[in-house]
Amino acid sequence: MNMPREIALLDALVPALVMAFLAAGVITLILDRILASRGIYRHLWYPALFRIALFACLFSAFGLIIY
Amino acid sequence: MSRLQALAYLRMGWRDWLEQDAPSFGYVFKVLLACLLAMWLSLRLELDQPRTAMLTVAIVMQSQHAGMVFAKSLYRLVGTTAGIFASLLLVALFAQERSLFLLCMTIWIGLCTAGSMVYRNHQSYAFVLAGYTLCIVGLPAAVSPEQAFDIATSRISEILIGLLCATVVSDLVFPKRLGSVMLGAVRRRYRDFTALLHSASNSPSLPLEPMLLHFVGDIFSLESFRASSALESDESRAHRLRLGQINAEFMEVSTTFHAFEQLLRRQKKNGRREVRDEILILYRELGAASTLDGEAAHTEREASSVTARLSQFRSSLEPKLASAMKSLPPDLEPSERLDFETGGELLQRLVDELLAYTRTYASLSKKRGDASPSFSLGVHFDPLAVGLAGARGALALAIMSSIWIFTEWGSGIEAITLCVVTSTLFATTPSPTKTIRQFFTGALIGTMLAYFCNFHVLPHAQGFLMLALAISPGIMLAAWLTSKPETAVTGAGMAIVFLMHAGFGSAYHANPDSFLNDAIADLLAILLSGVLYGLIDLSTSRWSRLRTVSALRKLVVEACREPLTLRRANLEIGARDLVQRSGSARRIGEPEDRLVIEWLLSVLEIGHAVIALRKEMKALDSSEPLNKALEAVAQYFESPSGQTREAAMLAVHAAGSALDASSISPRSHLEIKTMIHFIHSALQDDHSIRAAAAATEAG
Repeated sequence: MNMPREIALLDALVPALVMAFLAAGVITLILDRILASRGIYRHLWYPALFRIALFACLFSAFGLIIY
Repeated sequence: MSRLQALAYLRMGWRDWLEQDAPSFGYVFKVLLACLLAMWLSLRLELDQPRTAMLTVAIVMQSQHAGMVFAKSLYRLVGTTAGIFASLLLVALFAQERSLFLLCMTIWIGLCTAGSMVYRNHQSYAFVLAGYTLCIVGLPAAVSPEQAFDIATSRISEILIGLLCATVVSDLVFPKRLGSVMLGAVRRRYRDFTALLHSASNSPSLPLEPMLLHFVGDIFSLESFRASSALESDESRAHRLRLGQINAEFMEVSTTFHAFEQLLRRQKKNGRREVRDEILILYRELGAASTLDGEAAHTEREASSVTARLSQFRSSLEPKLASAMKSLPPDLEPSERLDFETGGELLQRLVDELLAYTRTYASLSKKRGDASPSFSLGVHFDPLAVGLAGARGALALAIMSSIWIFTEWGSGIEAITLCVVTSTLFATTPSPTKTIRQFFTGALIGTMLAYFCNFHVLPHAQGFLMLALAISPGIMLAAWLTSKPETAVTGAGMAIVFLMHAGFGSAYHANPDSFLNDAIADLLAILLSGVLYGLIDLSTSRWSRLRTVSALRKLVVEACREPLTLRRANLEIGARDLVQRSGSARRIGEPEDRLVIEWLLSVLEIGHAVIALRKEMKALDSSEPLNKALEAVAQYFESPSGQTREAAMLAVHAAGSALDASSISPRSHLEIKTMIHFIHSALQDDHSIRAAAAATEAG
């Protein structure tokens, strides 16, 4: 599957990775809300680390799809 | 034995170190880590100014709490984006005509500075940023308009990298959560307040103002924490609502406490001893009931047992008051009997409010609970002060840019940038002139360190590791200074100037000539904004204090005149906000600031009585004399003089004697009667700030 590596945003070429970054950030935020409301964070040793890892996983997954 | 002792000392020392110094070291380490991470990333991505990213880290990480860093980053992002769009627009419109460009820029910066004075905390910071981003991006872009877009995108990338590094590091590495800090603050305040109540009830002549004032500052710092904690996740979110409620309840109880204390003080001077003694006995019982054996409640669980004691005391209070009323000597005059009733009324209110406050506090540890809808702080400001602050920011830019244009100054852009930064960033601090002095010291140290680093260390450095080693000492020193509250501004100045001058981009490019020129320009710019702060002084001058005082008095006038009964929370928060903004709350020691504080307490005292009176008045058939009395009080607060004071006292007295009780319940009759009496005795008080103001106006 080949995704475009650059996206024209209002005629300015923006790397698709930036969009992937933003999307991963938004998805992480939503997941974070859901997990927090379910109380899952209480079972984790280090929630902050978990969040950043979640974000890294999502972002890398998007990156792999693009390239 | 001695070995054991030595071990104990060692352990004590270790604990002290962990509590006091370890956080500073942790903070220094975090700032360094975030800075180096930002530098590495921007070098890796081949952006032209790694220093912008590092500067962002240093500025955002001024606060040690993760939630504050998040909030600041978010608003920084918003502010920067707004600033970048404004600069692209300005470059597109006026790139060829620099005077028009600078004129528009001046207006923009004036507006942004004014905006930063209107809003609080981080929102105010976003306005400051929207202002000075125009200097960072707009000016270089205007000089070379064909690169405007590239400059804008690389600046915003650098700033984003800085923000990301700062937030990730403060969230991951030894995070300091706001939730626990707020909880600690709420606990401490509850403890302090009940302890104060207890000691005040036992020794009636205790000076209370310093403590009450401390509470005013507390309310606002807690509110700013609360606003920032929205961005921190997990349990802090759940606490937010209840913390807002606690803040509101605390304001009410502290006002009633002060009013009650004032009443006692007046009764000591003018009233009968028997009356005061009876009230004091009950007061002492309240003091005992609000603590556990004279000790303030330390935890929420202890607070629940205090709740039980307080509600017991509350239910026994009315019979006790009635029996005390009977035991008063029979030869009392009606007004003295009223004295007692007023004291009893206020005491009941104090107990009610304390009970509500304690109940909310005790429910803080429960995971779920029903919090009542939060109140909003609203925005209270002085339009003239805001306008002047805007003018000051605009003037700073205008002066600097005319020097730049007329002398063809090579370092003009540098000077303009720093001048705008300093003259907008510190506009909201309690005393900007003092702040700018500290900032200047920091800038001097930063310049010297940057010189040493640029021309003695950096030329020998090779590779990223050595580069990091070369700039680390400066960052660490700045961060260490920032971690101490008394040198925080010096640290900020040092970090900003040091990083602005750090002489490397994608390659080493420092040259002594331009370095010295820029350094001189920076110091001059800070001096100029210092001068401007001195000239347009909005917080420490007598003029601004008098304006604050008259704005405070206007709150009482509004409470008397506005058709809708003013909500009590509005008065409380409005009055405190005005004082907080004027900065007086943080300079208790100075005699002129005592004036503002005393007016604050006096406005709260009278204002809450007026509001209580108006609430009960609605049921009354003919409230004509009362309306007249309120109008007279309003006139007195509008222009305090011996004459208006006299008139207000007469009108209030007349209203009290003309009170017709046929149409209302005995309970609200008592309430109206006691509130009228309270206002009357407060007006009569010769020792209050009101009487002093009236005397000076007359003389």
